[in-house]
Amino acid sequence: MALVNPDFAQEIAKHGNETALECFNCGTCAAICPLIYEHFPRRMIRYIQIGAKDRILENAQELWRCLHCGLCTQTCPRGADPGEVILGLKRYVVADWRRS
Amino acid sequence: MTDEKKNIDDNTEQGKVGIYICYCGGNISDHVDVEKVRDRMEKLPGVSVARTNMFMCSDPGQEMIMEDLKNGTVNRVVVASCAPSLHETTFRNTLIRAGMNPYIYDHANIREHVSWVHHGEAATDKATRLVSAAAAKAEQLRPLEPIRVDAKPHATVIGGGIAGLRAAKDLADRGIEVTLIEKSPFLGGQLARLDRIAPTGDSAADLVKDLAGQVLANPMITVQTCAAVERFEGYVGSFKLGVKKQPPKFSQEDDKSKRGGLDGVNPGDYVPFSGVYPDPVPAEAEDFTIETGVIVLATGFKSYVPRRGEYGYRDFKEVITLTDLIQTLAETPAEGDRLKVNGRQIRSIAMIHCVGSRQIPGIHPEDESGNLNEYCSRTCCSATLNAANIIRQTYPGTSVYEFYRDIRTYGRGQEELYNDAGKNKVVFLRYEAEDAPQVVENTDSDDYPLRVKVNDTLTFGEEVEVPADLVVLATGMEPTGISELVDMMKLPVGTDRFLLEVHPKLRPVELPQAGILLAGTCQAPMDVGEACNGAGGAAVKAAAILGRGYVELDPFVAEVDASKCNGTGACVEACLVEGALRMVETEMDGVRRAEVTPALCTGCGACVAVCPQNAIDINGWTLKQYEAMVDRIVAADVAA
Repeated sequence: MALVNPDFAQEIAKHGNETALECFNCGTCAAICPLIYEHFPRRMIRYIQIGAKDRILENAQELWRCLHCGLCTQTCPRGADPGEVILGLKRYVVADWRRS
Repeated sequence: MTDEKKNIDDNTEQGKVGIYICYCGGNISDHVDVEKVRDRMEKLPGVSVARTNMFMCSDPGQEMIMEDLKNGTVNRVVVASCAPSLHETTFRNTLIRAGMNPYIYDHANIREHVSWVHHGEAATDKATRLVSAAAAKAEQLRPLEPIRVDAKPHATVIGGGIAGLRAAKDLADRGIEVTLIEKSPFLGGQLARLDRIAPTGDSAADLVKDLAGQVLANPMITVQTCAAVERFEGYVGSFKLGVKKQPPKFSQEDDKSKRGGLDGVNPGDYVPFSGVYPDPVPAEAEDFTIETGVIVLATGFKSYVPRRGEYGYRDFKEVITLTDLIQTLAETPAEGDRLKVNGRQIRSIAMIHCVGSRQIPGIHPEDESGNLNEYCSRTCCSATLNAANIIRQTYPGTSVYEFYRDIRTYGRGQEELYNDAGKNKVVFLRYEAEDAPQVVENTDSDDYPLRVKVNDTLTFGEEVEVPADLVVLATGMEPTGISELVDMMKLPVGTDRFLLEVHPKLRPVELPQAGILLAGTCQAPMDVGEACNGAGGAAVKAAAILGRGYVELDPFVAEVDASKCNGTGACVEACLVEGALRMVETEMDGVRRAEVTPALCTGCGACVAVCPQNAIDINGWTLKQYEAMVDRIVAADVAA
């Protein structure tokens, strides 16, 4: 079970993540991603949308597999900028690690 | 009919039947050997010519028939083609254009009844029998005149919502006197219960005030509020409606939605979330009768009321409907970062789509009358997104979560509402019909009163729980309870319980009952624009009926042969339509005989079957004609 955290979007915004909520879950980014399977990066974006912080931290290693080729950002029909969202998540995960 | 019409006296002139068989571009000829049928028809007694054409309904096809009629080759016509519902009128008009009476025509359906369902020799033989039976009947057809009924230049609109107002105004603009009958004390109907209308953001109050103002200012329109139709009789052009006007009874529920208190309200005022209050409510009940030529039904819809416990409705005070939310939003001053409802800060709203719509047998329980709303209510997706956008733009501190099965923003400018919702950071969660979200009390330590649990297909089927201060149910539309009108006027009702038009594409605002028309959401869920479209269409149809001052009806009704009738009265007893047949004393010899009111007779033939004297018959469908058809169908040599 994932408990939705309505305040998470604000928390993550500090790390440069402003666009994740514009994603409408089409999955184009996951289809075009040349490196990582299992719904990357959409899964991460979805976790931001519902504020599933634990899920993000559990799967954080996926973030560092991303090469930032930019294909997802180029093809996103909503301008949700998945590449930038992944970068922001990296900053968030590092900051969270520092805090702990 | 024009004076040019050739007079055909069937007593002197032997029937010369022309048979015209259509290929329907292969639709018929792929399975029926059309030329073989033609050869067989040519040999029949009474048949002058038998011809074929690739498309009989085409101009050359029709001209061929007109040519034969004009030069006297034929004086009765049979076309064998598609269903009469498609082209019977076409070919009757062909006869009129040839200067003939349109009722010396018979139609054989050899497409739907033959080529689409039979193949090979059997198809050809069945087509042969049907066409030869039509030919036998055609031989006996007499010219008939349509029944002409005077039309009273007056229209009655039932229902004072936006569709009723639109129809009344459009009819009055056409110079027709209108009576508008509204059950409640207010004009504006369900629209008056809304605020900003998606997708344009128009104010519902302004729309209602504008149109109701025009209606009330129009001297051609009489508005009767607190009034309901209780009696109905008559026929197109000459209906009689018994109307009862009485002081309104307010229920507890009405009081909550402010529909009750009329203290301090003056005629002409607009009462928010109720509508325009045109006249003081009557002090005591009164009855009156309206004589009217056409009736426009604009009886509207009612909002679905969730059952107790459906998504926590009435179990938790934090669960409300979308209409409740709209009213709350409109009445709450936009202050602060968060929406406040009854003093409570709303941090998170869960909105659930498709409540009471798109119900599936076996998944959703039926209501107490055994009904399921299997249709989409069409307006709730846009209305929900609109409310979500307003909340997110006005109160950035209030998060909105939308739980949907599918989003259907189907009209112009409505998809933008969905795009805007993304920009406004509305979070969507998607559920399957058989796995609907559950609204439960929050037992955790955080102070949100409720949680909405869902197996969210957008989060890969994971169970997701949304903490909520408020749960909003996007309730759909249901037909208004108008069973009395339905029974009185014998209105057709669809399986969805909305009123059912004659044809969804070609005759979308008409009912089989001539002179009764449909406007707005009594017919199906619609938005305001669509309801006004329907109302405009109904007004034009009504004006067209009244425009000529008279109405012509098909002459296929019962006729009494006074020389044979000896007044048994069996026909009156058998008659299914009240008033269509009655016993009348004849001046000539004082004998009581049956008399038909042609405008009321439906031509069902119940009277024909019971008359011991064979003194009553249906014009255009006489017993003799039936006998001739049956004889021909069973004749051994017809298909040989």
